Amino acid sequence: MEHIGLTHYLIVSAVLFCCGIFTTATKRNAIGILIGVELMLNSTGINLVAFDRYMGPGRLDGQIVALFMIVLAAAETALAVGICINVYKNLSTVDVDSASQLRG
Amino acid sequence: MNSHTYEILLALGVLSPFISFWLLVFVGPKLGKPLAGWVGVILGMGVPLAMASYVLLGWWFGEDAASRAMLGEQAFRYHWANLGTVPILVGIKLDSLTIAMYFMVTFIAFWIFFFSVGYMSGHSDEVDGKSKYHRFFAYLSLFAFSMLGLVLSSNLLFLFIFWELVGLCSYLLIGFYFHERVPQYAQMKAFITNRVGDFGFIIGLMLVYFQLGTLDLDDAARIFAEQYAAGTGIFASTFTMFGWSLATIMGVGLFCGAMGKSAQFPLHVWLPDAMAGPTPVSALIHAATMVAAGVYLVARVFRLMTPEALMFVAAIGCITLTLMALIAMVQTDIKKCLAYSTLSQLGYMIFGLGCGAWIAALFHLITHAFFKAMMFLGSGQVIEGCHHEQDMRKMGGLIKKMPVTAITFLVGVLAISGFGIPGTNIGLGGFFSKDEILAVAWVRTFDWNDYSRHEAEHGEHHAASVPAIDSDDDASDNLNGNHKQMLLASDPQHGDSHAAPQHGEAHTASESPRGLKPSAHGDNAHGRAGIFSHVPPMPKWMFYLALFTAYITPFYMMRCWWMTFMGKPRDQHVHDHAHESFMMYFPLIILAVGTCFASYFLFRDLISDASTAATIAPMVLATDGHLHTAAIAAAHHWLITGVGGSFVVGFVIAILIYGRGLGIASAIKNTVGIQQIHTILDHKYYIDELYHLVWVKGCLCIAHIARFFDTWVVDMTYNTLAKLTERLAAFMGLIIDTHGVDGIYNGIAETAIGMGEAVRRPQTGRIRNYVLFAAGGATVVIVLMLLYWGVGSPEQVAMLTP
Repeated sequence: MEHIGLTHYLIVSAVLFCCGIFTTATKRNAIGILIGVELMLNSTGINLVAFDRYMGPGRLDGQIVALFMIVLAAAETALAVGICINVYKNLSTVDVDSASQLRG
Repeated sequence: MNSHTYEILLALGVLSPFISFWLLVFVGPKLGKPLAGWVGVILGMGVPLAMASYVLLGWWFGEDAASRAMLGEQAFRYHWANLGTVPILVGIKLDSLTIAMYFMVTFIAFWIFFFSVGYMSGHSDEVDGKSKYHRFFAYLSLFAFSMLGLVLSSNLLFLFIFWELVGLCSYLLIGFYFHERVPQYAQMKAFITNRVGDFGFIIGLMLVYFQLGTLDLDDAARIFAEQYAAGTGIFASTFTMFGWSLATIMGVGLFCGAMGKSAQFPLHVWLPDAMAGPTPVSALIHAATMVAAGVYLVARVFRLMTPEALMFVAAIGCITLTLMALIAMVQTDIKKCLAYSTLSQLGYMIFGLGCGAWIAALFHLITHAFFKAMMFLGSGQVIEGCHHEQDMRKMGGLIKKMPVTAITFLVGVLAISGFGIPGTNIGLGGFFSKDEILAVAWVRTFDWNDYSRHEAEHGEHHAASVPAIDSDDDASDNLNGNHKQMLLASDPQHGDSHAAPQHGEAHTASESPRGLKPSAHGDNAHGRAGIFSHVPPMPKWMFYLALFTAYITPFYMMRCWWMTFMGKPRDQHVHDHAHESFMMYFPLIILAVGTCFASYFLFRDLISDASTAATIAPMVLATDGHLHTAAIAAAHHWLITGVGGSFVVGFVIAILIYGRGLGIASAIKNTVGIQQIHTILDHKYYIDELYHLVWVKGCLCIAHIARFFDTWVVDMTYNTLAKLTERLAAFMGLIIDTHGVDGIYNGIAETAIGMGEAVRRPQTGRIRNYVLFAAGGATVVIVLMLLYWGVGSPEQVAMLTP
């Protein structure tokens, strides 16, 4: 059983990121896209924490940035959900393809 | 009197007709028929006449000879501009000649203006329903302005400007009836002929300007004399043409102007045709004043003339006076007859100047102006009275209908013929002036050797030995000596027979300026004596021709008078219509009286006074104008009886031939031999035909050649070039523009469109696609980073790893 190192974390993160991209690129549902974006954000969070742990021991920079990122992600999600609700109010759907115009 | 008073008055006299001209130009039509004329008379000539009279009296009676010379010296000069380095000084030439001419012009012109009011009232003057009555007086006023300006000019440039202005007025007035063909051609002929003369005048002016370096009359004469004495300037030139030196060419060039204006052979052709103008114009411009401007010019530039140039002047004058007098014998048109007599008399003046009779020639100018103006006005009265009939063959017997005109005309005829009683001081115009010219010519022809040898000794002595300025006393003494010698030679015992005014005038005149302005006088005297030591005697033929013409003049004038006024009426219609009117015969009376007194009046004294300063004294032969005294008659007996009696001979022949109608005349005309001569004279020696052939046809011929050249060479060249250019342009347009330039731009545009098309495709507007692109792009970049740029290589990882 090999010792779990930085590489493993990065691989998990990359897989998670790919999942996020895949979700974002394939989903037409705005909420689905939002979930994909969250996945990508979280994969970077894993990266930050992993690099902090392995590349800069004794320092907390990466972890603090990860905490910031979580807060920002929450704010971003709140905003994005607000947009989704508005899109739904206007178009009676959250399908992003039908929201192809900037007029509202 | 203050010096500038004269100048201001004279200048005002010039300004007044100028104002009159503009006034008539702008408000003339509103002033209407008689009023515009009176404006012309009063403002155009009355004011100048008043000024002239005042100045004349003040000048002659208020000043003595010394102060006159001083006033002339101090005359106003205004530095107007520089022509190169030569300053142009505008000013007034104030001497006795100017004042005599000024008075003569204003006096005669005033009465001609006056006459014109009467003359024009009877003339239809409407063109296209508009009256041009005011225009006539506007032109006359402009003429008065120009002529007086010409007389006053102290500078050759300004003299030339006014010279051209009088030419313009002449042109305008000859063609006053411009709606008719004949005046149109006449005005053009006059103008063009004068341009030929002016061409020579300009050459003369150029030579004066370049060689003497001044255009001021007095300065030019002074420098000319200095250059002669030093052998520099114009006399240093070795240039010759026709055997003339440059100095002679200068004199001849200036004389060419006079040839045009004074209508000397071979430029005389315009003057008879100028009679197409209204008769007052013929009287004023083409008989009395403007044509005399040429003589005046020669008199003014007399000091710039070399002996050769003067010989040329004399020859031209001599040819003119003879040929024109012969033509006058056969003219049947009353105005043409007078025109040719004018030409002949102008020839006398020019001839007189050429042979050195400066005083006599100018005296003749003035006496001639009086009687010729009067005769022309008389002919105007006749023409007007006879319903515009000018042919003398249809007149006759008019003395009963027009007594005043006939008598005054007769006075003119007597004056031009030189009527007088030899041995006394009684005579009319020509008796003094023309016969004096002949007397001087006689001296120059037959008596010249002694005179010129004497002159040469003294003159050359001075020219050789005495440097310019201090020689004045000696030189002047010589001059005076010569004057006196001439006078004494000609009138040893004339004593009391001289009626006072002219007596001894030459003495005072020549002595006076010596004390006053020694330098100028001395320089002149110095140059004079030198230049004129080589004056040759005149050829005999000139004198004989002039003498011969003195016999012809009375003949043709009496013929003219007799045909018009005496005998039986030949055309009843003309005779019935004949009448005369006060407005027109009143000036005739005035001028007739003037003619009688002109010889005795101040004119001769004035000219004699001017001669000392204005001429080269040895050349001016002071024969004193009284050759008809008993003493001189004894000295030159045959000359005096010959010339003095010439009028009798001429009159008798004229009356014999024309006394009984035209029968005898036509019989003589048809005699074999005479007939041919008559034909030649009637055609004016075919000079007009010759000019037509040579100049008009020549011009046309050159024009045709030029047109041929233009069509076949110049136009061809340009057309070919144009065709070539056109072809080239078509080629360029097709090949280079369409395919080249347009191709480039279209290609660019199409490329842009294509690129736009290509780039447009990924822009789907779908977020999924964009995410895909972004992810794909990022993947590509990462792969590249890993594979080629060494990112993530073991070394880098090792470097980053702590």
